[in-house]
Amino acid sequence: MISPKNKMFRLTGALGAAALLLSGCADNGNEDGAAGEPGDGATQIVVDTTFDIKTIDPAREYEPTGQILVKALYDTLLTFADDDTTTVIPDLATFESNSDQTEFTLTMTEGRVFSDGAPITADDAVFSLQRLQGLEGNPSFLLAGVQVEKVDEMTLKLVTDVPSPSLPAVLATPSCGIVNSKLVQENGGSTSATDSAEEFLNETSAGSGPYILEKLDTASEAILVKNDKYNGPQKPTYDTVILRNTEPATQKMNVERGDSQVALGLSGDMVDSLADNVNVESVPSATVVFLLINADSAISEITASSEFVRAVKNGINYDGLLEIAGRGAAQATGLVPSVFLGALGSADALKYDAAAARTAAEASGAVGQKLTLSFPNDIDPTGLNLTTLAERIQSQLSQVGIEVDLAPAPFATEIDAYRDGKEQIGLWYWNPDYMDPANYLAFGPGQSVGLRAGWPEGSNPAIEALVSQGYTTGDLDARRTVFENWGKAMNADSPFVPLLQPGSNVAYQPSVSGVYYNPVWLINVAGLGIA
Amino acid sequence: MTNPGQAKAQAKAQTKAQQCPQAQAQESAQPRAQMANRRSLTRRIWRLIPPGLRQPLGIVAALIALTWLVICLVGPSIAPYDPLAQDLPRFTPPGSVAWLGTDELGRDLLSRILAGARVTIGLSLLLVCLSMLIGSLLGLLAGFFGRWVGETIMRFTDLVLAFPTVILAMVTAAALGASLFNAVLAALVVSWPPYARVVRSIVMGLRENEFVASGRLLGFSSVRSMRVDILPNTVGPVLVMASLDIGTAALLLSGLSFLGLGAKPPTPEWGSMVSSAVAHFDKWWLGVFPGLAILTVVIAFNFIGDALRDALDPGVEKS
Repeated sequence: MISPKNKMFRLTGALGAAALLLSGCADNGNEDGAAGEPGDGATQIVVDTTFDIKTIDPAREYEPTGQILVKALYDTLLTFADDDTTTVIPDLATFESNSDQTEFTLTMTEGRVFSDGAPITADDAVFSLQRLQGLEGNPSFLLAGVQVEKVDEMTLKLVTDVPSPSLPAVLATPSCGIVNSKLVQENGGSTSATDSAEEFLNETSAGSGPYILEKLDTASEAILVKNDKYNGPQKPTYDTVILRNTEPATQKMNVERGDSQVALGLSGDMVDSLADNVNVESVPSATVVFLLINADSAISEITASSEFVRAVKNGINYDGLLEIAGRGAAQATGLVPSVFLGALGSADALKYDAAAARTAAEASGAVGQKLTLSFPNDIDPTGLNLTTLAERIQSQLSQVGIEVDLAPAPFATEIDAYRDGKEQIGLWYWNPDYMDPANYLAFGPGQSVGLRAGWPEGSNPAIEALVSQGYTTGDLDARRTVFENWGKAMNADSPFVPLLQPGSNVAYQPSVSGVYYNPVWLINVAGLGIA
Repeated sequence: MTNPGQAKAQAKAQTKAQQCPQAQAQESAQPRAQMANRRSLTRRIWRLIPPGLRQPLGIVAALIALTWLVICLVGPSIAPYDPLAQDLPRFTPPGSVAWLGTDELGRDLLSRILAGARVTIGLSLLLVCLSMLIGSLLGLLAGFFGRWVGETIMRFTDLVLAFPTVILAMVTAAALGASLFNAVLAALVVSWPPYARVVRSIVMGLRENEFVASGRLLGFSSVRSMRVDILPNTVGPVLVMASLDIGTAALLLSGLSFLGLGAKPPTPEWGSMVSSAVAHFDKWWLGVFPGLAILTVVIAFNFIGDALRDALDPGVEKS
């Protein structure tokens, strides 16, 4: 039997031990952080982020951290400038298209070389793109329905059956990075599913990008060093780039203390309490958080009614949502985020109107009924906690007479209900796959996301006509008009409620320059400079 | 009867007072008398408590637990705000607007903690009662009938005990889907076996006793024998276990909610409150106060359990 005195002694001991353990952890953090100081004149930059990475094989990767690394290691045929996400510019190639936007001729830039010194030819480009298609990996869909042909040593041609004005933007995504075809083939690479080069590419980069891979540990850190043979337009400043897997709370401390120079994973709330010696680049991210209201009356008679959709669209106080989303967030004016061509202005955005919402809710028969709002609770798109957002939506809808039960579930289980169109009301988000508004046409009736809301083909002929125009119109101004009309029609009649674009916050030391947010590759580490 | 020591002290104080100037004597003698009075009052209250229960830690714990139980009953009515209303400024630090601050949605933390007491403590009590009932019943049957009945029940008990408690509860809760009711079921799955084992061993010992045997000889049915002769003798140890278990149950249930397998938002539940505080590391009050609530409940019920064991179990050396 332990006497109480003894017990207290043990308790104190345990607390003391816990305190020691904690302070030990903190000390370790300090030592790791010391990596920020370079020696012998070489420059080094430490970037903290929360790792979401499976591989850095360009044809297989499709996760945020993978995109950052692949962007630095591999050049693409076409690209975007750091500060302009609407205009495609040449990189390894220049392009021309026919007037139907079905044939794209790419001419390789003279003189560009891989990190081993070998010149980059059309063979490499054809192999890389065909490999992306043939692997049937996560990003393979990007080039679905595109025929890739070599014309001569320095020219290749992409042909599509339907007009594809978004193809140049697709070619700028890191997944379309050009690999050294000889080197990759020597290490098991091929353009079919039998390819076995992934392991090799996770240890050695086979590209022409500003950096080459020194070390990759998908659980802790990636180290990139300057590519001495690089002769492209994006001259890197830092000799070494270290990307570390760090918890957001620790990222904040690290960047405040100067243990890291850039922190990518801070939420809006954390940014608000950052120390003054840290700069922040806060912009609305290209992630659109939206509500899906199932239009299938087999799922719910109530949600299928157009009055209910109107009640929800009017019943949400969008400013009240922004309040909890933190710095940089903005109301999503439509499903197409603000950084893209054809995004709507704030005048066309949905508006809060409690009285109209209450009338519509009563007409829909929703008053006195309980509906279910489903959402994934283990994933925070761009630092926004979906549970918090759902609680706020629940409270707002209840004020206009709509009662919803929250049904949080892990992403891995809820995604099936979402994809199968089984949710009454769903809270989800969409990250762009490539920088073109055509990506968002998937929300149309009968399209992949539209079907998830029980919205089949034939539900709205007017919107469907705009969807097909959106896929085929090539002229820039005409495209803008088509997408704006589509966006307005979707706001008025679709079962989707665009809510907000969470802020993208990059916190950085004042010594760093060239910090730009990109919707696809988040940050271009080669573009970082010394202020 | 006058205490000789006390009389001596009084006499001493008097002589001292005579030696000193009058004013000072009055000042010093009065508090002393008051202190003596107070001491004898505490002593008198102390003597009201049965000797077996005279444990300071146990009594403090009982007071804390009692406070929480009262809060369970009246919590919502003494809360300053609606625990679900989101109309205060977000992240207000503890102060005059909200005593314990507000959370990420502008809800009053104090009101949520008070409302959460009903959820956490109420469900813990329910859980302990259920596992006590199920475990005791199975243990009673196993111990009384022995042979294949006992073997079957105890092997099954061993099977459940062989799994790590928290993992099994997590698996069950995940399989059933996240809700408070399912969390209680999941916790129930792992918390009844200890009762079955304890009750069985007590019953096996009692079964051989003469008073049970004579009951049986008088023609008591099995049921009557269990009810009249055996069951009352198992109550003490089972109650001790149960009181020790309330803290563990509270910890298990809030643990499940912390992992997102228990209370659904926006239910004010301490575990899920701590969980949402994790994302707001620098707003210390979000995690500290619900954490303290869990801590005090767990410690209080553990100390009560210890005290009860000391009082009820004659086999244990008194501390």
